[in-house]
Amino acid sequence: MTETKPITYAWAINHAIDEEMERDPAVFLMGQDVGRMGGVFGLTRGLFDKYGAERVRDVSIVEHLVVGGAVGAAMGGLRPIAEVQFADFLLLAGDESFHKMAKWRYMHGGRLSVPMVVRAPCGIQGGVGAEHSQSPEGHYWHTPGVKIAVPSNPADAKGLLKSAIRDDNPVIYFENRRLYRNKGVVSPDPDLLVPFGRGTVARPGSDVTVVAWSAMVPAALEAAEVLEREEISVEIIDPRTLVPFDMETVAASVRKTSRLLVLHEASLTAGPGAEIAARAADELFELLDAPVKRLAGADIPIPQNMALEPFCFPQTDEIVSAVRDLAKW
Amino acid sequence: MTAVSPDTRGTDERGTLLRLYREIARGRALEDVVHRLVQERSFRGFFHPGRGQEGLQAGVCAALDSDDYLLYAHRGLTYLTAKGMDPVEVLGDFHGRVVGSTRGLGAGTVHCVDPERGVMGQGGTLGSSFTLSAGLALASKALGESKVACAFFGDGASARGTFLEAGVTAKAWGLPVVWVCENNGWAVSARVQDVQGTNDIAPRAEALGFHTQVVDGQDALAVHEAALEAVAQARSGVPAFIEAKTERIDGHYTGDMQPYRDRDEVAVAKARDPLDLAGGRLVALGEDPAALAQIRAEAEAEMAAADAAARQSPFPDGSRIHEGLWA
Ligand SMILES: Cc1ncc(C[n+]2csc(CCOP(=O)(O)OP(=O)(O)O)c2C)c(N)n1
Ligand SMILES: [Mg+2]
Repeated sequence: MTETKPITYAWAINHAIDEEMERDPAVFLMGQDVGRMGGVFGLTRGLFDKYGAERVRDVSIVEHLVVGGAVGAAMGGLRPIAEVQFADFLLLAGDESFHKMAKWRYMHGGRLSVPMVVRAPCGIQGGVGAEHSQSPEGHYWHTPGVKIAVPSNPADAKGLLKSAIRDDNPVIYFENRRLYRNKGVVSPDPDLLVPFGRGTVARPGSDVTVVAWSAMVPAALEAAEVLEREEISVEIIDPRTLVPFDMETVAASVRKTSRLLVLHEASLTAGPGAEIAARAADELFELLDAPVKRLAGADIPIPQNMALEPFCFPQTDEIVSAVRDLAKW
Repeated sequence: MTAVSPDTRGTDERGTLLRLYREIARGRALEDVVHRLVQERSFRGFFHPGRGQEGLQAGVCAALDSDDYLLYAHRGLTYLTAKGMDPVEVLGDFHGRVVGSTRGLGAGTVHCVDPERGVMGQGGTLGSSFTLSAGLALASKALGESKVACAFFGDGASARGTFLEAGVTAKAWGLPVVWVCENNGWAVSARVQDVQGTNDIAPRAEALGFHTQVVDGQDALAVHEAALEAVAQARSGVPAFIEAKTERIDGHYTGDMQPYRDRDEVAVAKARDPLDLAGGRLVALGEDPAALAQIRAEAEAEMAAADAAARQSPFPDGSRIHEGLWA
């Protein structure tokens, strides 16, 4: 692997799309403003000039069409990357995502395939309010038939998106807008994939396990630095994909630490952390010395006032105190 | 918007109409088997009979090539057999046997599938075919194939927002879609006039820039000719729309007594039975009524045999539910 200059999470996404479009002529992109403008967040810059209007398709305000059309195009032999401008808008295409994308193959006896990716920018940032800030990965985790990627850093952002595009199943790829400018070293190797269903140890430790993904990983890393000064050693597990979910890596960590905190940005109640906590209670009971704790977003719609945003999702100091409490057991 | 007139009929009217007559008879015989399954309770789901609408379904499907895509609607089964599906697989789905097209998961009206014949399935949520057909048509175009994507739907489903979203995009991209509205005037118990403020669906397609035709859906040949034109338009990159004015002779589902519907109206609908109309025209063209009776008898025998064959197939075991979710 050649060492290169660090690139941003946003640019890693751009590279993944570019490389896969170059490799496979069946891959194409559609969404609002993905063409000449290069995306409202600038992620698809350069692709329109390189691949043209046939493969980088601007659409009108047609979320049903973006997702449903991608399902049809995928069945017809293409590999669509459908972009919704905000993950919240994926919920507009509820029928197309919950019913068509997730179920079409199964409902038809497994005789049709729907190899497509929906890119869904998620996360609380920038005062955009209740309908532009959600992280609805839990909604889709509760929907059999879709894979879910939740990358936390540039290298995973690239490798997971490439895997998603090559996957013969539908994938929702949640990219957190707070991470777009984060930098990291990313391999330029066009064949380097990050496999689905394999979590990673984002930071090794021995006292408390924290399961975190997406923008909660950098927050957990920051908290771990603080806690290290207090001689509490935190191990951070980043599952990287929720479907499939790598419970083994979580189990291996809890075997060392006997304490588990599940962290996420989406609101707490019936959120994705409930699933992980339930599985831990069920499968890891004998390893645990403390109750499984969850720290997650507040059970409210996100207010527009930016000054209130930090109160809506777990902040570093809250993670620190949650881990401290667990470490006392 | 063009109305198809009978003068545009091709020279081999009798031959074409005979072909359509056979498909209508096959579809009807297949549905008659399903009605029996409902009565004897070997099929317990809802069945939405297509009686009265078989002529338009046969007419359109006969204009499609075997690799053209089909997203059928829930109103009967003639689409499936007219597109070439094996009735054993269709009945296998109703019986929930492994010979069914879903290989044991079961289907009835929706979910029957046959990728080799372009039958790309159907969903239970009405109006989802607009976006799916646009996507299939996009794939055909992008891959340099000449397939069209044909989607059937009712007057009710035509009110879904997906119609507009997929329609504007199909127009913008020049997608080879053929949308066929089976306007039977009813959505369950709701009259189209009462809930949509109009009886006419085609103007909205015309407004989107589709090549649009309105045709008597009880005249299988007229529908067929409209469909040939629609398919040609679609293949040339102009999305095409047909509104077939048709009759729902039976209830919304088998067993629906239609208390909301005027008896006289049902009688009028029955008098416009597409099988009878096609048969009458054939006799006027010199066809022997006995030959038509023979075609109907063959269709009934074919479907009875298909039913027997489907019943021979085993039921899936419980582990079947865990197969096929993932590629
Ligand atoms: C999105 C959605 N809403 C409601 C239904 C329930 N439903 C099934 S058939 C039907 C009537 C459909 O009317 P129309 O589209 O005119 O077709 P027709 O039954 O007349 O052939 C309804 C309301 C459904 N399946 N999907
Ligand atoms: Mg109707």
